[in-house]
Amino acid sequence: MVSLLGGIFLGWSLGANDASNVFGAAVASRMLKFWTAAILASVFVLVGAVVSGQAGIETLKGLTRLDLEQAIISSVAAAITVTIMTILGLPVSTSQSVVGAILGIGILNNQLNLSGLVKVVACWIGTPVGGAITGILAYYALGAIYNRMALNLFDSDMLLRTCLVIAGSYGAYTLGANNVANVTAVFVGAELIGILSAALIGGASIALGILTFSRPVMETVGRKLVRLDPFSSLVVVLSMGITTHVYTLIGVPVSTSQAVVGGVLGVGIVKGVNTVSRKTLYNIILAWCLTPVVACFFSLAISFLLHLRYMPPN
Amino acid sequence: MFRFLFKKEERVKSLIYEYMDTLKLSQASFAEAIGHCLGGECRENLDFLIQQTHKFESKADDIREEIKAMMYGKALIPDSRGDVMGLLEAVDNIPHLFERVLYMIQTQKLDIPDFLVLDIRELVRISLECCDLVFKQMTALFEKQQSIRSLVATIDTNESHCDHIERRIITRIFDSHLDPFLKLQVKDLVVQIGEISDQADRVSRRINIISMKRRV
Repeated sequence: MVSLLGGIFLGWSLGANDASNVFGAAVASRMLKFWTAAILASVFVLVGAVVSGQAGIETLKGLTRLDLEQAIISSVAAAITVTIMTILGLPVSTSQSVVGAILGIGILNNQLNLSGLVKVVACWIGTPVGGAITGILAYYALGAIYNRMALNLFDSDMLLRTCLVIAGSYGAYTLGANNVANVTAVFVGAELIGILSAALIGGASIALGILTFSRPVMETVGRKLVRLDPFSSLVVVLSMGITTHVYTLIGVPVSTSQAVVGGVLGVGIVKGVNTVSRKTLYNIILAWCLTPVVACFFSLAISFLLHLRYMPPN
Repeated sequence: MFRFLFKKEERVKSLIYEYMDTLKLSQASFAEAIGHCLGGECRENLDFLIQQTHKFESKADDIREEIKAMMYGKALIPDSRGDVMGLLEAVDNIPHLFERVLYMIQTQKLDIPDFLVLDIRELVRISLECCDLVFKQMTALFEKQQSIRSLVATIDTNESHCDHIERRIITRIFDSHLDPFLKLQVKDLVVQIGEISDQADRVSRRINIISMKRRV
């Protein structure tokens, strides 16, 4: 269990950070009480992890062969990377840091599943693009239905709130299903635990992060989405959920933050307005490039440090 | 389907209807009071009717405060909260105008000259018709979105008609041989009555914007 602590910490920080992508808009705008959002998100994250989390775990554990020590190293390296990038204020992706850390171990082992790695990187590129495309399609499709309904102010309000809760719960489900691999896949690779236990422990640690530390992040990060009108916020959350779900089916952990940014961009394209500033885009690209590299470096550095031996002079 | 989850919203909605009913009572009381003045029975029931108008206006204010408190207690999404509050504040200016007109007549002891009675009666009638249409438009906003645009057009036409009558009355006042001080008093009264349709027009446009914001 102690060996799993690094992974649990990673799951906790993932839950604390990424819950804002699913319920941030609803909580920051006081449409939903924090505790309602946190409980819904925790339950659906856990359900998502257990029901649909296996594919991602299979992909990550297949990237390279790890022993228990290497699994711990990669998980600690990923956690350090996430912490540093968060301190630097960059939109960090836990998925990228985990894959970067595993890559470091793979380099050391001189054993890398290149086809798996190419699949993962291709999906990373596809996340914001997929988010944007889904956002555009969802905006047009839902917009047509919404306009056809010609609802009065109160009914429109109730419908949007209900849909935001449903879309948020769906987003939480896909967050758990997709990102649980980041938390415990390395330990499955090291044969410390089975896939179901990995999904349960990973899902529970993400849920713990949501319940204990997601409030400040939800209230601050959520405001970025609140600047959008309620319908656009709904489209963004839904497109994030759909995009993440698609990658869950493919079996590649991706960043929900990047899917959200893609969705926001998509809504901006439809409405013909700048929804994402140039600075935000620059930070995303920077973090996108830096995260796997930094995690890989930490993974190599920790392994190197752990294997240093004192050689007494003859 | 999920209405049982939105008790606060249902309460806000019923308070808004209560608010509108109170405004209608205030309007009816104003119409009766001004009718008395224009019918030459000015002093008999005027004080009572002014008191009635004030009472309903004050009750409407209390309901508005209750609605405000409910909305800041997290009823409705922030966008709708702002829209509803802005709308109620704009509507609330109408009973204030009713009161102001009646207080002008009461405190300045105004007697409306006979040659202006018909025109002022017409101005009041169309202004109050604008208010009725605004209430209809508000009901459309809270019940079904249809007919909001056509009501904007009707209110706009009525408002232009009121402006026309207002100019005609003011011209007639200054063409007459009334005492110059009385001319200014009556002109002020007519301008205040004309303001009712202007305010109704502003509210109507606001309702139209709120309705358009709810289209994607």
